[in-house]
Amino acid sequence: MKKIVFFLVFTAVCLPGFAQSITDSIQVLDEIVLSDSKLINYASGVKQSVLNDSVLKQNAKSLTTLLAFNSNLYFKENGLGMVSSPSFRGTNASQTAVIWNGININSQLNGQTDFNTLSSSNFNSISIRSGGGSVQYGSGAIGGSIHLNNKLAFNTHFDNAVQASYSSFNTKQTGYSSSFGTNLFSVNFGLFYVESDNDYKYLGTNKVNENGAFENLNLNVNLGYFISRKDVLKLYSQSYIGERELSGTLVAPARSKYEDENYRNMLEWVRISGRLNSSLKVGHFQELFNYFENRNTDSYTFGKVNTYLLNHSLNVRLSETLQFKTILDFNSYEGAGSSFGDPKRNAFSTTVLLNHKPTEKLDYGINLRKDFTSGFESPFVFSLDATYQLTKQYKIQINGSKNYRVPTFNDLYWNPGGNLDLVPESSYQVDIGQQFNFEYYNFKLNGYYINTEDLIQWQPDTNGFWSPENIAESQSYGAELELESHYKIKAHHFNVNAHYSYTVSENMETKKQLIYVPFHKANVSLAYGYKKFNMYYQHLFNGEVFITGSALKGYNVGNIGMGYTLNEKGSINYEINFKVNNLYNTYYENVALRPMPNRNYQIQTIIKF
Amino acid sequence: MKMNKLTLLALSIGLIFTSCTSDDNPVDVIKGDYDNGLLIVNEGNFFQGNASVSYVSNDYSIVENNIFDNVNSRLLGDTAQSMAFSEGLAYIVVNVSQKIEVVDRYTFESIATIDTELVNPRYMAFANGKGYVTDWGDGGSTTDDVVAVINLSTNTVESSISVGEGPEQILAKDGKLYVSHKGGWSTNNIISVIDTATNAVQTVLVNDVPDEMIFNQAGELVVLCEGATQYDANWNLTGHTDGSIVRINVSNNSTVSTLIFNDDKYPSLMAYKDGKLYYQAGSKIYSLTDTATSLPTESIINDSFYGMAVNNNTLYGVKTDFVGGTGDMLIYDLSTKSLTSTKTLKVGAAKIYFND
Repeated sequence: MKKIVFFLVFTAVCLPGFAQSITDSIQVLDEIVLSDSKLINYASGVKQSVLNDSVLKQNAKSLTTLLAFNSNLYFKENGLGMVSSPSFRGTNASQTAVIWNGININSQLNGQTDFNTLSSSNFNSISIRSGGGSVQYGSGAIGGSIHLNNKLAFNTHFDNAVQASYSSFNTKQTGYSSSFGTNLFSVNFGLFYVESDNDYKYLGTNKVNENGAFENLNLNVNLGYFISRKDVLKLYSQSYIGERELSGTLVAPARSKYEDENYRNMLEWVRISGRLNSSLKVGHFQELFNYFENRNTDSYTFGKVNTYLLNHSLNVRLSETLQFKTILDFNSYEGAGSSFGDPKRNAFSTTVLLNHKPTEKLDYGINLRKDFTSGFESPFVFSLDATYQLTKQYKIQINGSKNYRVPTFNDLYWNPGGNLDLVPESSYQVDIGQQFNFEYYNFKLNGYYINTEDLIQWQPDTNGFWSPENIAESQSYGAELELESHYKIKAHHFNVNAHYSYTVSENMETKKQLIYVPFHKANVSLAYGYKKFNMYYQHLFNGEVFITGSALKGYNVGNIGMGYTLNEKGSINYEINFKVNNLYNTYYENVALRPMPNRNYQIQTIIKF
Repeated sequence: MKMNKLTLLALSIGLIFTSCTSDDNPVDVIKGDYDNGLLIVNEGNFFQGNASVSYVSNDYSIVENNIFDNVNSRLLGDTAQSMAFSEGLAYIVVNVSQKIEVVDRYTFESIATIDTELVNPRYMAFANGKGYVTDWGDGGSTTDDVVAVINLSTNTVESSISVGEGPEQILAKDGKLYVSHKGGWSTNNIISVIDTATNAVQTVLVNDVPDEMIFNQAGELVVLCEGATQYDANWNLTGHTDGSIVRINVSNNSTVSTLIFNDDKYPSLMAYKDGKLYYQAGSKIYSLTDTATSLPTESIINDSFYGMAVNNNTLYGVKTDFVGGTGDMLIYDLSTKSLTSTKTLKVGAAKIYFND
């Protein structure tokens, strides 16, 4: 975070005339540099964690691995590279919002984002916001949200990086990224391609992971341009094109294949005029999948949704301590698919966010939102949050919110089963956090309670036909601990990151823990750097989870890696990294009967110029 | 309840002696742990690999779940659809695992696994010294549906007979196979009649979505047609065709009678015993005689099931909660029409077989 602030201040100096004071300039430049300033300005009482560059680099391949080893999130992954579903605080994947440059990108079809369709290497910053955020981020932000942001740097620079890696199971990755900027213009570009046979051995059996090969391409392009001293135009573009065979289970062979494509394009005009910041966004997103029941045939079923969005936000700084923001948002969704005709939906929302710092120590916010969605009534939602800085080292955060999730196109229109009588899920929650910041370490401790009503669940009727219903009510409560420590002796750097979560998430009627919610999950990451050398170790403990009618054992997995930089001070430098995943060659299943990879190796080179 | 081999041996010896001394007074020999009881196929959850078979003794005193896993120390597989019996063996059709597990029907010890060339196997029958398995092929394809022919000595698929979309249940009688075409992912309205001597296929038109079939005491084929849910081009629900019970004279494949359900109740399960047919419609159970000319208006049991069978004046119905992961068998006395007992089975409890 310090780095970002420094960078912002530095940038401010390069753009004279915009800012009155340093604090002002940071706020103003948030609007320009960051794509989602409400993440910082209107969430003081909400737990947020930012993943730093070195952590991102250690897990360049997979956003799933990155977050499983470096956050409190829990993942369900149908085998390596297959569909990967995150969850926060005992909620589910459709109650976890993924926010791309300020906009919710969860699928309109199944309500989720598949984390194996996003490459962490194409984002400058990944933040995790724990707890409800429907006021700011809309439907599905119940358990928390994950923010993928691209930053535009308005200073003179031209940086390039080429990376290539080869890993076990014939996995090849190549990437190129480039960033160029002046004080008026900024562009960054990222291309990342991965392909893998993914035919790892199932430990303790004579089977291998058949039908698991995958390849995908991620392309990001972001542009920013000052059209006047007060106006900036920004263009964000992200594309994903992937093809995966869908691997089977220990007892079910597979022959299916899945192609999916996501295109997201958004143009933003930011105008900064005195105390007013205005942002107008227009965007077009498309999600598409083709499912081949048998990969050897040409026959497939498909689903597609086009989303058109128009979003205006106006931020008004009434004083140094009081600001508010209004957001008007319009989305139009047009679906088409083999199993659901061509449904359409329009959604309009109006949001007001207010932030006030009445004293040096107290900071609070009041946030309100009302959605109007064609086809059903969306609830009025709100959140309140506050931070109190008791001492220099100790801060208390508190927030409460009402959140919601609308039924997806699949829930409403899937044939057979789609149910047009569904109402949105609604959820109340409170979260209390404490943060301790010391010279060499800091930690966060949070406790929360979430109650969700009208949970949408697919279940069979008496004739065995599956259909979604608003049936269940669930409650989750638990505690989260996050610890970060860094220490430096001469040229030796040490860093420790650890997360632990205790989660109870139960069906209110049966009082039973929901399936695929571990009571305990913990991870630790240790890093050491000395001059041009660095090494790290990551460890994940995932506790036992219940599955339908049974339980799945917990597991421990460790990864180790090291890297060396050559010609560090030259204009071209080289990095060589080596990583061993699943160091102890542990047999583990993350989803029942789907073994995860045995010990595997990765060698990577990065050339920067 | 694990009988050891010695007990079996002792019983076998007993049989030899008994046989020698008293030929006209046969003794029922217990042929394995799972003799003299009911076998219930629990489908399990789709793609969760938790299919199983349960055993309930005839006197209901013993319930053992997961008998295949218990005996063979491995998982049965994913989505068990049905079971068929021949020559002391049980053939468990495991749909998503694309295989058939062959076991001794009384001990449940594994004999073989037929796991090549099956794609979407559903039901099995025996005729002409061979096994015949209905197979949808790819669910999305209407042209790759077959009845696979199994060589019972090598336990392999030796050939296949092309049939119409979605072959479901299969019965054998007098060298012929009768296949109901429920329609797989789609709907269909035919019965295929296969002559096992020539593999020639004849098609008999019935009503929409034929599923369960039985032969009645007159030797007629009785087919339960569920009726089809109808949609427009945008998958909006537009209606439902009527369900029916169709009787077919198999000597010339002509329709003897059709009883139509025209009161928005759609029939789903059927069982037959001692000249009485039992079926489920509108969450209730009704019974019907072979020669009935109209459907009854009074139900016999006001309950509904996921699977049903009748024996010894007792109706066995299974229920399952796929989300909660449970399965139960309810036992109704047909004389008093009252529930006498409930046994806990596993998720997806569906098909009930009598193993005597």
